[in-house]
Amino acid sequence: MSTRLPWIIKYRPKKVAEVVDQDNAKKQFIPWIKAWIEGKKPEKKAALLYGPAGCGKTSLVEATAKEFGLELIEMNASDFRTREAIERIAKVAATKYSLFGFRSKIILLDEIDGLNAIADRGALSAVLDLIEATTHPIVLTANDPWDPKLRSLRDKCLLIAFRRLPKRAVILMLKRICESEKLICEYNALSLIADYAEGDLRSAINDLQNVASISKHITLEVAKPILARRDRQYTPFEALRSLFFSKYAWQAKKAVTSADIDYETMMLWIAENLPYQYTDPEDLWRAYEALARADVYLGRVKRTQNWDLLAYVFDLMGAGVALARRKTKFKWVKYSFPQKILLLAKTRERREIRDAIAKVLAGTLHISSIVAKREVLPFLRIIFNENPEYAARIALGLNLTESMIKFLTPKRYREVLKELAKLKKTA
Amino acid sequence: MASVEVELLWAEKYRPKTLDEIVNQEEIVRRLKQFVKSRNMPHCLFAGPPGTGKTTAALALAHDLYGSGYARYVLELNASDARGIDVIRTTVKEFARSVVPGPIPFKIIILDEADNMTADAQQALRRTMELFTSTCRFILIANYPSKIIEPIQSRTAFFRFTPLKKEDVVARLKWIADQENVKYDMEALETIFELSEGDMRRAINILQAASALGRVTVEAVYKVIGAAHPTEVREMIKAALAGRFTEAREKLRALMINYGLSGVDVVKALHREIFSAELKIPEELKVIIADYLGEVQYRLAEGADDEIQLSALIARLAMLGKRLRV
Repeated sequence: MSTRLPWIIKYRPKKVAEVVDQDNAKKQFIPWIKAWIEGKKPEKKAALLYGPAGCGKTSLVEATAKEFGLELIEMNASDFRTREAIERIAKVAATKYSLFGFRSKIILLDEIDGLNAIADRGALSAVLDLIEATTHPIVLTANDPWDPKLRSLRDKCLLIAFRRLPKRAVILMLKRICESEKLICEYNALSLIADYAEGDLRSAINDLQNVASISKHITLEVAKPILARRDRQYTPFEALRSLFFSKYAWQAKKAVTSADIDYETMMLWIAENLPYQYTDPEDLWRAYEALARADVYLGRVKRTQNWDLLAYVFDLMGAGVALARRKTKFKWVKYSFPQKILLLAKTRERREIRDAIAKVLAGTLHISSIVAKREVLPFLRIIFNENPEYAARIALGLNLTESMIKFLTPKRYREVLKELAKLKKTA
Repeated sequence: MASVEVELLWAEKYRPKTLDEIVNQEEIVRRLKQFVKSRNMPHCLFAGPPGTGKTTAALALAHDLYGSGYARYVLELNASDARGIDVIRTTVKEFARSVVPGPIPFKIIILDEADNMTADAQQALRRTMELFTSTCRFILIANYPSKIIEPIQSRTAFFRFTPLKKEDVVARLKWIADQENVKYDMEALETIFELSEGDMRRAINILQAASALGRVTVEAVYKVIGAAHPTEVREMIKAALAGRFTEAREKLRALMINYGLSGVDVVKALHREIFSAELKIPEELKVIIADYLGEVQYRLAEGADDEIQLSALIARLAMLGKRLRV
């Protein structure tokens, strides 16, 4: 089962124009940012973008940063719990120049209403100090700006309202994704997804991916049972916590079905975090076995398109995992994002180079890329690690690029390149 | 001006170009020479283990039929690289359409790893083969003929390639080493044969890699084999049995990302490792682990998630390791 990037990341807008709807917000926000770039510090040094979840607040900031070549320094509600954390950011905000050659920066404090007014009192005043001292634009986002605890902040900020996205805008975006993912979609199904989302594009895209993970044909018939399972959505962190806390089968099943990500991704979250939560080897083994069985069932659902089987997937990934714990005491652990997804994104370049070498080998040796990777690459690596002079001659023969050579011998590629330059000179 | 010494991969450099140059598979070569003589041939199915000369025979046949410029009469496809039967069909159609003048009234399409195609795709392939019979001949290449559907088997001339004999492989390695002015111990060449299990391409790859280290000795051969088998496999098993789950999982991820191994590749490597002499575990445990490896490999082949299934495998090893200690 291939693990894809979540679509909410894959289809993040890269330009301001790609941000769905929100023309009024753009009309306020863009001139404010432009003023910063042109060195005319606007009257308000911070902007507070507010509006319902999933209507494009963060997306607009990210797209703006990309389009104008600004470095985005991002902080989440969960990150700015403490005064020290904010002061660290404050130092960055006060420095004029960027390390990475960006013209300027945007400091984004996401979900500012996640601050607890009492517990994080130090944090709130640190944010105020930050706005006072900054030499870069500061953007805050919030669902509800009228929260009394944010009053002092409100006064310092340019308030920019985002509206709940109209249904047609949500459907339009879903349609675009369907086209790009080569999905066959029924208008009725997209309309239903948009209805459930209530203007929240993020949850609409997540739902679409959820449905698409089961079937390439997005029909009303497929979408309905999947959407109906959801009443209140939890973040993966919350869902995991409540899964591992569950004492009863029904609790565990509810926990895994209420996460706001698709089932396959939820499985990866569980797989990633199980060893941190279950320390007893017997417990861990039982839990993984249940999860592995759930994965097998999900495979069958997809192959046979038999939705009834989905129930067993939830039984095993939920109840099976939760009730596997017999010896381990429940303790609070920090959960992490599934490494598999991160690694796939991070190592994309390396894998692309590897595949490119395999393709070269496949072409010259009359074999498939898979055989080239398995049968030839390991030996090529040895040659490149052991004998730079010989490696250079092969590199010339196969016409390998510098990055390919670097892939084959991260340790000695400089030597190989030197030899290669010598060879080319004598030519 | 000094000529630049460009090095090629020996597996390609020393591939026989004509049917006459092929030293073994005598029966097959004899039949193929008949085709050249009569300037006609049926659709063919070449089956046999890797590195026994299937692709070489197909290319040599084409060479002998069309002469040294044979490439324009031949389309080489690989079923595992071509994305689906539709791509194969379109490519074949394009290729078959253009007529190249010459004494031979047909062109050759070599489809490698045909046994990797699903039964449905093979049915579609059969129809394509029939559609272009007047202008094209297919040579299908497969490791396992039993995975080729009956209707295709019955429409092709069958050629079974057998594993190469020790004296043939060693003689070939010796000849290549002499051509390349590489110093070697005869014992080392024999070791290469033992370790490559009759697979000529693998044997030549090992020889070339070993020669990069200097004189080809038994030690050099083992060094090459050792380096080609990532140490992470054994380290992963050891960490798992010792109950260090996260460490084992990191090794697993390194294997998949750095070496590009698929989940199934990892399972196979684990299987090899479990039964190798270097890993000291109780005999009966090997059987228990092998049993589960078989289950995991089956699940992965059915499309299960490699990260989840292999994590479950590590967890099972950790559990077995703990039971072993108490």
